[in-house]
Amino acid sequence: MPSSPDARHEPTPPGELVVPADLASVRALAEHLRQACSRAGIDDMALFELELALVEAANNIVEHGYVGQDAGSITLAIAIESGRVHLTLTDTGSPVPPAFFANTALPEGHATSGRGAAIIHGCTDEVAYESRDGVNRLVLTKGG
Amino acid sequence: MTAPASPLTITVEQPRLDAMAAAPFRATLDPLLVDQPDRILLDLTPVGFIDSTGLGVLVSMLKRMGPGGRVAVVGAAPGVRRLFELTRLDSLFRLCDSEDEARAILA
Repeated sequence: MPSSPDARHEPTPPGELVVPADLASVRALAEHLRQACSRAGIDDMALFELELALVEAANNIVEHGYVGQDAGSITLAIAIESGRVHLTLTDTGSPVPPAFFANTALPEGHATSGRGAAIIHGCTDEVAYESRDGVNRLVLTKGG
Repeated sequence: MTAPASPLTITVEQPRLDAMAAAPFRATLDPLLVDQPDRILLDLTPVGFIDSTGLGVLVSMLKRMGPGGRVAVVGAAPGVRRLFELTRLDSLFRLCDSEDEARAILA
């Protein structure tokens, strides 16, 4: 059997998805999450909250992380063990300011933006973020 | 004595009211808000998912109604309802279990 033209590239690990950093691809990430959680029997509300946290984080990368740069990519890795879901989002855009994930306060009621971090925290059990050597990694954990 | 006009009913047709859908949704809202309705019955029955960007468009709609504007929401799926509660926007948007309840609140 002839080898694939892409055989020289590292294969994408199972459960991992790499997409361009654009809003259409955020929907693809959400669909990937829904399928993984559905296979694992994660309940509907937990799935909704995970999807919401993922979408908020990915929107942030698209709308802020890669502003002023060439289009980049977002990698999503999903690990589910005993009902506990770990989502790891990796990108190489501008890092999130240190205060972003520390500030979980909601803006005043009529604000039309600024709820992302509070939603991410409210929908997950743990939020861990680090930026090192040009790679940003956000790990969201829920359940189990 | 004149009976009060019925609230304006707006049905959100997007199954996903996310960052990608926000701009076209805002464009469909614009002509409906020109006359500054003071009461809107917002039907979210077709909507399975909203993110903070979609929510921001709904807050923007409320602001454009002016200080006396009131919105009652029907058809919010459990997850959508959870988002309103999590962001405490259920204090600005009245989440109703039925259209009758919404119309009574807006009367």
